Amino acid sequence: MFKEIKKFLLNQPDEGVDKVPEETRREFLKIGLIITGVFAGGSIFSVVSKVAEGLATPEELHKSYPYKPHYSMVFKMDKCIDCERCVEACRATNNVPEYGWRTKILEIYDEKALDQKRIFMPILCNHCNNPPCVRACPTRATIKDPQTGIVKMVSYKCIGCKTCMVACPYNARYFNEEKRAIDKCDFCWETRLSKGEKLTACAAACPAGVRIFGDLSNPASEVYQIVHQLGKPVWTLKPETGAKPNVFYTMG
Amino acid sequence: MKKIKVNKGLLFFLFLFLFLLVGRVYVYDLNQGIVISESEEAGGPEIIYGKPVKGVLFSHKFHVKELGLPCESCHSGIFEMAALSSQEKKDFNMQALYQGKYCGACHDGKTAFASNTKCASCHIGVKGMMPYLKKLSQSQDK
Amino acid sequence: MKKKNPEATTEMIFSQTWMNALLEFLSGTKAFYLIIVLGILIILFGAFFGVNAIYKGYRHVYGVYREIPWGILISGYVFFVVTSTGLCIVSSIGHVFGVKSFIPIAKRSVYLSVVTILAGFMIIFFDVENPFRMAIWNALSPNPTSNIWWMGTLYGAYLVFMTLEFILLLLEKHRYAMLAGLLGLISGVAAHSNLGAVFGMLHGREFWYGPYMPIYFIASAAASGCTAIIFFTYLGYKITNEKMDKAMELSLQAVGKIWALCLAILMFFTAWKFITGFAGGEGKVLAQMELIKGKYVVNFWFFEIFLGLLAPFFLLLISGFRNLNQMFVASLLAFIGIFFMRVDLVVLGQVVSHFFEYKVTDYPVILSYSPTIYEIMPVMAAISFAFVAFLIGEKVFKGHKTEIH
Repeated sequence: MFKEIKKFLLNQPDEGVDKVPEETRREFLKIGLIITGVFAGGSIFSVVSKVAEGLATPEELHKSYPYKPHYSMVFKMDKCIDCERCVEACRATNNVPEYGWRTKILEIYDEKALDQKRIFMPILCNHCNNPPCVRACPTRATIKDPQTGIVKMVSYKCIGCKTCMVACPYNARYFNEEKRAIDKCDFCWETRLSKGEKLTACAAACPAGVRIFGDLSNPASEVYQIVHQLGKPVWTLKPETGAKPNVFYTMG
Repeated sequence: MKKIKVNKGLLFFLFLFLFLLVGRVYVYDLNQGIVISESEEAGGPEIIYGKPVKGVLFSHKFHVKELGLPCESCHSGIFEMAALSSQEKKDFNMQALYQGKYCGACHDGKTAFASNTKCASCHIGVKGMMPYLKKLSQSQDK
Repeated sequence: MKKKNPEATTEMIFSQTWMNALLEFLSGTKAFYLIIVLGILIILFGAFFGVNAIYKGYRHVYGVYREIPWGILISGYVFFVVTSTGLCIVSSIGHVFGVKSFIPIAKRSVYLSVVTILAGFMIIFFDVENPFRMAIWNALSPNPTSNIWWMGTLYGAYLVFMTLEFILLLLEKHRYAMLAGLLGLISGVAAHSNLGAVFGMLHGREFWYGPYMPIYFIASAAASGCTAIIFFTYLGYKITNEKMDKAMELSLQAVGKIWALCLAILMFFTAWKFITGFAGGEGKVLAQMELIKGKYVVNFWFFEIFLGLLAPFFLLLISGFRNLNQMFVASLLAFIGIFFMRVDLVVLGQVVSHFFEYKVTDYPVILSYSPTIYEIMPVMAAISFAFVAFLIGEKVFKGHKTEIH
């Protein structure tokens, strides 16, 4: 059979590249560009790497991340006192069951530290700009919303394979038995933002001003201002994974 | 699958009811704070406030035994000698401390570290309360 | 060859095959039926545990949890699909690429590749939380960037092609069987490398991330395929007490040699994976140290390295590829070792906790996982299914005898 295929291939007349009409060539290239453009758009400009190399202007940012508003959160980590009002507010607002969590406070404790031996670090879904979970989901049950940049769940499509749980570098996802689907933080889109609220439940509940929630594309928002300054260090968790998180950490 | 929800729910409440009835392990309201008595030389109990936020530690052992402070340093008008009484006061918050009340009487940056620094030293949080809760239930079992 | 009306001939062969198959099945020995019934009981027992787990909710009965969502059900699935792809690869050397010495083992291999892929699907049914949604949304809402999607779709095509190939082999339609075999090979290798990429493309899991996984999976498949062929061919002849003819013996020798080559490749791969891993990030180093001297020491050194790689390799060399008894023992040891290889692969990628580098007190640096009986039983059921289907296949298809054309 291979001999036949080989004969067939060798017997093809050589048309010559110049015989392919200009139109066909352009159309062909366009298809390729369209496909790569969709993915390249998320990875050519990186919010985090731009902060390191040089800050992006709102226009540049908008070109690669056409989200309006581009929801982001900044944590002022040193102010967190683990009162866990944010966790309780999130649980109450979003019906998070006891066995799961959408946001959590981690405790960093080192006996050998000088002075203060303990500091708290809140975590939640980072709504990455290059989300490994969205890439890995077989049924597109999790998507990055083209309007707001929030990584959302489309629960009825979830088959519960838990690939997204394994893919997420931040342990942000869990399987919700009542919904029969994976659940995670959606920046309170369903319960608050889509209904006109400006803040997530956790950001509203924090008594210490730890959670700054806002629009990264708006120069007037505190989120933009904190991220776009060089004076105090601003970092993301696990940047080496290439996920380009939208949640930033700072002190003071 | 709906059937399962009802069964599990009923079972859960049944067990919760039985649990509460028997009462040995109970759901502790962390908002009420925790008081752990210590030895004589500690100078007083370990107090963890639950209001207005959970998990704020005051250690008599550290202040009296380690630092050697006498009782009058605090119990001469700044604090009542009644554990957890401060959290019932309406003005027991950080603003008051910045104005020199309660802990702010010393924690003003001159006598001791300023109240708006090193937050997690006193704010041990919900996580910090857990070992004390365990100690409390153990001592109650005795 | 046949000068009569080809349509009627195909029909005749087809109906003859069914009749023969049924008659063969009904004319077994007592021992045959006893083992079949025992096997079916184990399958039902395992299925009972699985259904019970669905009823109670996986969160309550499985050993997997939020931080380690993939356990022995996933590794059991990997075990079976690796074996299946391997059987396809090795059988295609004979049927698709025309190497004469691989033709005698090919028919049984194609049959077993279908059996093992079905066993794999059985296990995954009890891991995925909403299995019935899979068929619907994989078709209606595909995600071309998802390795899981490609793997699922390609394995579906692979199952169709391999079943078709087996039927065509029974009907003696060798040209079409070759085509089906080629398509099965292509879809199998593509699906299997995507399974490797499911792990290898997760940058958040240092132990898995890298280009190594898809390549390693294919090499491992080739080795597992040879293992399965030697194991089941030897058993097939042992249970009927038949003597192998010369062609079959030569065939097994050829398979044994390929197997030894694959084992050598795997040893090379494994050694370099670990050596380069130690120059990697701390996440990778921590996971590797767990294997080399941590909690998974026995899993790694005894099962994966000794039973899975070294013992079979040296047994093969000692046997000179002629002593079939030694080769069978090698394949038995290898099967056990390979099963643990898959468990190590799946679990170790998840044991380093997510925020280990931030010194958090909420999670230990190394998490632990242990399977529960609810997870072990579906795996047992799948193994039992593979055996029962193998035995029935031996009986019904009369030992998968082939004539070399």
